[in-house]
Amino acid sequence: MLNKRVLTVIKRELREKLISKAFIVMTLLVPGLLFIMLGVNTLLMSSEQKNLNVDIVSENEQLTPLIQNELLTSELVKDRKYIFSFSTMNKDEFKKFLDSQKQNLINEKLGGIVYIPSSAMKDKKIDYYSKSSQNMSLFKDLDAHINKILIDAYFSNRTLSKEDLSFARSSVDFTGYKVSKEGDIKEEGYGNLILAYLLTFLLYFSMIMIGQMTMQSVIEEKSSKIVEVILSSVSPTELMTGKILGASITGVIQMAIWLSPIILLMSTTFFVLPKEFLFSISSTVIIYTIINFFIGLLTFIGLFAMLGAIFDNPQDASSGTLPVMMLIIIPFFIAISMMDNPNRPIALIASYFPFASIIVMPARLTLIGVPIWNLFISTIINILTFVAIFPIAGKIYRVGILRTGKKPKWSEVVKWLKYNY
Amino acid sequence: MNLLEVRNLVKTFDGLKAVDNVSFTVPEGSVFGLIGRNGAGKTTTIRMMMNIYLPDSGEVVLRGVKVGQEFKNKVGYLPEERGLYKKMKVWETLMYFAELKGKAGKSIEQKAEEYLKRFELYDRKLSKMEDLSKGNQQKLQFITTILHDPEFVILDEPFSGLDPVNTNLLKDIILELKQQGKIIIFSTHLMDFAEKMCDHIVMIDHGKVILEGSLSEIKSKYSQRNASLTFDGDISFLNGNPLIEKIENFGNITGIRLKEDNQTQQLLKLLVDNNIIIKKFDANDISLQEIFIELAGNEDNINGSSSVSKKEAGNA
Repeated sequence: MLNKRVLTVIKRELREKLISKAFIVMTLLVPGLLFIMLGVNTLLMSSEQKNLNVDIVSENEQLTPLIQNELLTSELVKDRKYIFSFSTMNKDEFKKFLDSQKQNLINEKLGGIVYIPSSAMKDKKIDYYSKSSQNMSLFKDLDAHINKILIDAYFSNRTLSKEDLSFARSSVDFTGYKVSKEGDIKEEGYGNLILAYLLTFLLYFSMIMIGQMTMQSVIEEKSSKIVEVILSSVSPTELMTGKILGASITGVIQMAIWLSPIILLMSTTFFVLPKEFLFSISSTVIIYTIINFFIGLLTFIGLFAMLGAIFDNPQDASSGTLPVMMLIIIPFFIAISMMDNPNRPIALIASYFPFASIIVMPARLTLIGVPIWNLFISTIINILTFVAIFPIAGKIYRVGILRTGKKPKWSEVVKWLKYNY
Repeated sequence: MNLLEVRNLVKTFDGLKAVDNVSFTVPEGSVFGLIGRNGAGKTTTIRMMMNIYLPDSGEVVLRGVKVGQEFKNKVGYLPEERGLYKKMKVWETLMYFAELKGKAGKSIEQKAEEYLKRFELYDRKLSKMEDLSKGNQQKLQFITTILHDPEFVILDEPFSGLDPVNTNLLKDIILELKQQGKIIIFSTHLMDFAEKMCDHIVMIDHGKVILEGSLSEIKSKYSQRNASLTFDGDISFLNGNPLIEKIENFGNITGIRLKEDNQTQQLLKLLVDNNIIIKKFDANDISLQEIFIELAGNEDNINGSSSVSKKEAGNA
């Protein structure tokens, strides 16, 4: 199969694709975009508001100075996230005060009013008044501080050791540990989740991009009639093999470029990630991902080349790509949806299912441990998928590549399989 | 010796027989013409010879061996519908197509340079294809066809779409290749060209061979009782004359078929007596066009193609 002519075609495909603008731009742009997306997300989380005016009103006058002291020394004020003002009022006074501040709340001169009734000393229930009553980040910000004051006040009359008090104050702190059969139990940040998203996005992008490029190139050869000149030198199978291999090698190079920062982070201790972003993946996962990505490219690019041969022009082709695109898009969504629980049955099935395995398995691997023999199974499934698809795609390609005229129906394309070309 | 044999080729598309039991032989050292109107099955036959289509049945045999990849390497093929990669540079294109034929290295580079210089394209060798004029793209297409020094050159409707300069250029190349001992096979619906250039022809109509042989033999066989005439004046008086069986007007040339074998002298005298200025009088001559009409009939279609042929001939 790999003769001189195929190598010649591969060389041309590589030269054409690797130095094409689209390839260079996408290769650089995609990781850039992903980083920007992550960055914007972090930025939004950290600096959603500045200097929000909040009135803290307490019914119990003993609580007021304690709260004032606690909040004014907190990060919330130091970071200029909030400007607090404190006062003590009973229920009736507060009602009047609320009425008088109504206008300020509506035009947002005043961000919100927190009312801590005396009953909070027993049931920890406090009220929040604002134009938008649900402000999760404010609840989150104030929760620990007010909780601490209430606990202190609650226990202040009773005899309690400092340790007891500090235990009571502290909230629950989750630390994630990844458990896998092979390795030790490791502490883990969000790193692996981010990595799983990243792998899924990159596999998806690359597969679609390289596939589309190959399809366009087949359409170009067909519509500009180059193909007949080429077929006077090589067989259609040789041409298709060369094109698919050339494009797949391009894809693997692209993926290697994209994954190189991760490989770099794995292999050196020179770069230090913040603790929350620490990830742990074995080189097996990276190697598996690249090998299976290559097999996946061979399969999908074969299908895209087939589509290119069926249609005469990009317009017809873009409507005809839907069935093949679905084979990439559906696994992509399965992979995204399983992030919160990689053990869902659909994720489990999809990670071994033909076509879907290529995208779903790497993300699943990053999230949970999978025994090595399972990787062999999915690799074999992927190879078998390719072996089954290639002759069909090849046959349709052979028939389609020399056909011109009106856009064929799918039923006609199926008939091509029986043709003796 | 029979070099290349086409044996009983059949090809059916969607129940329609495009090529129906076609057989012919291409002798050594000839310019071989595959002649027929558009849609007669010429391109399909050539594609089967090139192993681009698999025949439903039949085979193509080169010196006793069924053709395959080895034959492809020996052939330079110029399809009717041609194209080159638009974004590829001239030099890369030439090297790529030569390499597909298994030729690379110094000797090919040298040859490519020679051809580019000869066709006045050497200074464009680093240009992209899309930046060349259509005429120059056609020239490059010829070069890619012959650069790897093929033993066979197969040209499918080579003159269609060529500008007059390139038409002459291609004619020169064909003659040159013939002198070098290459075997040239070309298909055309233009009888004039075939007549001027071919040694052997096979005529195909509706997917079937209707005539095969050397052009001179065919002509002498069909030319009895025929004269072709170039003249000034009005020859309408010949209509209904007892000597004449049929008059075929091709514009510049008029073909006249007589009723008896040895009446050409009488015809010539008749023309002179009627003050017709005779520029050219060819006894026992028949054009391929006339033979084709006689065999294939269906004149409406033929007249269509003959008007094209005149236009192209005029251009040349």
